[in-house]
Amino acid sequence: MTEKQNCILRIDNLIKIFDDAETEDTILKGLNLTVQRGEFMCILGPSGCGKTTFLRCIAGFEEFDGQIYVDGHKCSVPGTDRIMVFQDFNQLFPWKTVEQNIQYPLKLQGLRDKDELRRISEESLIKVKLQGYERYYPHQLSGGMKQRVAIAKALALKPALILMDEPFAALDAMTRSELQEEVLRISEQEGSTVIFVTHNIEEAITLGTRILVFQKGGQVVFDEKNPIKRPVTPLAENYGAIWEKLHRALHSEDGG
Amino acid sequence: MRKKEKKGFWIQIVFIALMLVVWETAARLRLFGPRSEIIFPPLEAIGRAFVLNFAKGYGGVSLWRYIGNSMKLLGEGLLIGIILALILSGACMVSVSFRRIYSLVIAVMDLLPGVAMLPVVIIIFGISPGVIVFLVVHSVLWPMSRNVLDGFLAVPRIYVEAGKNIGLRGISLLLGVYLPASVTYVISGLKVGWARAWRGLISAEMIFGIASCPGIGLYINQMRVNLNNAEMYATLLVIIIIGLIVQYGILVPIENRTVKKWGMSR
Repeated sequence: MTEKQNCILRIDNLIKIFDDAETEDTILKGLNLTVQRGEFMCILGPSGCGKTTFLRCIAGFEEFDGQIYVDGHKCSVPGTDRIMVFQDFNQLFPWKTVEQNIQYPLKLQGLRDKDELRRISEESLIKVKLQGYERYYPHQLSGGMKQRVAIAKALALKPALILMDEPFAALDAMTRSELQEEVLRISEQEGSTVIFVTHNIEEAITLGTRILVFQKGGQVVFDEKNPIKRPVTPLAENYGAIWEKLHRALHSEDGG
Repeated sequence: MRKKEKKGFWIQIVFIALMLVVWETAARLRLFGPRSEIIFPPLEAIGRAFVLNFAKGYGGVSLWRYIGNSMKLLGEGLLIGIILALILSGACMVSVSFRRIYSLVIAVMDLLPGVAMLPVVIIIFGISPGVIVFLVVHSVLWPMSRNVLDGFLAVPRIYVEAGKNIGLRGISLLLGVYLPASVTYVISGLKVGWARAWRGLISAEMIFGIASCPGIGLYINQMRVNLNNAEMYATLLVIIIIGLIVQYGILVPIENRTVKKWGMSR
């Protein structure tokens, strides 16, 4: 497969300006980027660098200037080919059970066969290790479990891109590392393309096959393949070196 | 928790029993002299009247018929009012200009007691059940709209975005996300709206009863005219009982099956 066919996301000159009545804030100043199929791209950056806005533009939640192509199609509004997993635990609809939350988007796509729906929701719940929780309502689940359901919901839709906006930032350290492992395993099994925004260097090194660092204005100051073979542990060769590099790139604007 | 609830229940029962004793004492002692029998008829008389209301009724028509008529008009009005409130509040989410106008209309109309509009409404509809239905719609539409609109505007952005992400647009987004996400508000709108409609209905029926469609309000008025005060009190009891049935037989179960079950309210 040539490089071009393999490209799942192409971004041309993406500009995003937040235009209040008084202030005009340029969040993204002409960003260009391509993402290959199957890549797990982690984006690191200080707060306010535009990494979340970047993700929201891809998801179609924001108006923007420039072009975004997913699988060759131009995107400007939300669509099920790009599913967002938010940081907020409350992204599941509280009035639907776990199973209904997963099946609802599929029903909207026209899937009516009850057995097929059940099969898909069961399958994706097994992937996130939540089988048996089909009939639970979101308020009966812990934060980590809710995030698992959100991931299962995304998987069931088989999107071209899974967009994750610091999905584990609000979790305790143990649950976070558990979920990181799950996401890693799932993305390898499914061959999903993931764009994962985080502010945690360790998380980026653990998960990413490619790591980017944004600075103010959505400026890409670092863009390299992760040299460390999975599974990544702090004892791996190069871990310290890449950590150091990322740390420096992250703090490159501190003037230090 | 359970123990506390049980205790609360018994306190309420004791309170009611105490009130009944006070009433009966007032009746026996003839506290108001010759008028006592009208103001405080003995409990036994009220109890007998309660049964007679249903068994014999007035002019050969049982109270059941009156209740049936009232409930039918109330049901029609509530249904129209609730559907209108949902449609108009939904339209407010589509057009900001419409929202501005409709908020103003709600604020103005909500202040107008339905009964005060009776003269005009009668000219429009004539003396017909339509007047009562109109008044019920008027009493439920504005509080319901206010609540539903507040609910729609308070829907967390994340639900809306999650909804858009899975392909909901326009009306499907309204029905699939906005409406279920604001059920708490819809229910509190129902509570206020229903109570107002119920009161408005009785007042309207009392002010002008329609012989072709006699309701509870008319019945009370007939009892008043004939100085059948025990029967009148018995009918007031019926009004309270119907109110309690709607509250605990309809509204509370709706709440338990939605917001309580979904963990959206305690």
